[in-house]
Amino acid sequence: MAKDITLLWVAGSPPCWRVMIALEEKNLQGYNQKLLSFEKGEHKSKEVMDINPRGQVPAFKYKDYILNESYAACFFLECQHKAQGNDLTPQCPKELAQMYQRMFEGLNISQKGIDVIAYNWRVPEGERHESAQKRNKEALTEELKLWEGYLQQGPYLAGKTFSLADVVVFPSVAILYRFGLCEKRYPNLAKYYNCLKERPSIKASWPPKWDEDIKGGPPRDLLKDI
Amino acid sequence: MAKSMNLQWAAGSAPCWRVMITLEEKKLQGYEHKLLSFEEGQHKSQEVLEINPRGQVPTFKHGDSIINESTGACLYLESVFKDQGSKLIPDTPAEQALMYQHMMEGLSLTEKLNLVVYYEWFVPEAERHESAVKRNREALVSELQLWEGYLQNVAVGSYLAGAFSLADVVVFPNVAYAFRFGLSVVRFPKLAKYYSLLKERPSIKTSWPPHWVPGPQGFDVLKDV
Repeated sequence: MAKDITLLWVAGSPPCWRVMIALEEKNLQGYNQKLLSFEKGEHKSKEVMDINPRGQVPAFKYKDYILNESYAACFFLECQHKAQGNDLTPQCPKELAQMYQRMFEGLNISQKGIDVIAYNWRVPEGERHESAQKRNKEALTEELKLWEGYLQQGPYLAGKTFSLADVVVFPSVAILYRFGLCEKRYPNLAKYYNCLKERPSIKASWPPKWDEDIKGGPPRDLLKDI
Repeated sequence: MAKSMNLQWAAGSAPCWRVMITLEEKKLQGYEHKLLSFEEGQHKSQEVLEINPRGQVPTFKHGDSIINESTGACLYLESVFKDQGSKLIPDTPAEQALMYQHMMEGLSLTEKLNLVVYYEWFVPEAERHESAVKRNREALVSELQLWEGYLQNVAVGSYLAGAFSLADVVVFPNVAYAFRFGLSVVRFPKLAKYYSLLKERPSIKTSWPPHWVPGPQGFDVLKDV
């Protein structure tokens, strides 16, 4: 089963990490995988483009089926392996509703984080503005306040059970701490982060070189004032 | 069942339309709903903020459950009402994988369309650049060409993942939007065929937007794309 699965990934990419957490949760360890170098531009290599014409990672194949969109891969793995590993979909309709709601709201925290962290990579030099960077930081702050509220209750995003919502959102939260988000300012979020980073599937898939600086990348304390 | 559902929506909003198509497909007509006006800023009203602190539409409630995110709401309805109405998630693994993949790629299409159509809403005047406008248009063309490729064999009953599915529920409103805003049927013939086939589908006809809200550049902003 795992041998029919291939993942091309880059260290520290939240979408790649989501798929790796899902694979661990569903007991699909032993899949074929290849770590690519972002700095060397390997995410735009022919090997990736053959699977993902968008030149993005993850590039993911399950037998002949292509599932490059991380949420799509997670949904599919949960559906196809429902009875294997951990159940990532709550039974209770109310928790299920909350799972879907938080999963898709998670795209906001992911986008707003990227808008701040990857600003210089995504915006050509001639188009950068202090005003835009300020606005992006304010948007991220407002977003984090929402999640701080959501995590008053828990311990997981859908309520009492770990679900696909945590699989997809955790990596986007973790990357904020990688770049210096203050734990004291958002205590519920910090508690969520510190609790989940001990989960076996998350420990097993923790990105390599997490504590290293990225060459040419943003400083590690970029988010300390958010 | 439908009586315990409440939708607040705005005309021409693709996310609202997705939820409405799904409700029709799952035979959940009769839900409570309220049409709001973007122009009057009603999406920022107290009534909306109480359900959606983000001040966005749709807002969707089923009993006490709230799912405002459109793709999430569609997945939820398909899950809870699996045995009712049309089947929107294929059973065969190959089609199921294609469905999830195209459904999620639909969000990329949404983003690239918005960056062109609503550039002036998103970007303050002092931060606008011709180079960005050009890049956004090029990105949209590449994106549309991908979808043109996905729909090579489009025909009745053969859509984004075979039979009509959640991928079409999510993506069709964006395609309809694109043509409403002037996209060329000559340059994108497969998308045009997809559009002309699905616009006749009952759930889509019934929920067709009563009117569309023009963007900053009116309704023909995409004619040269």
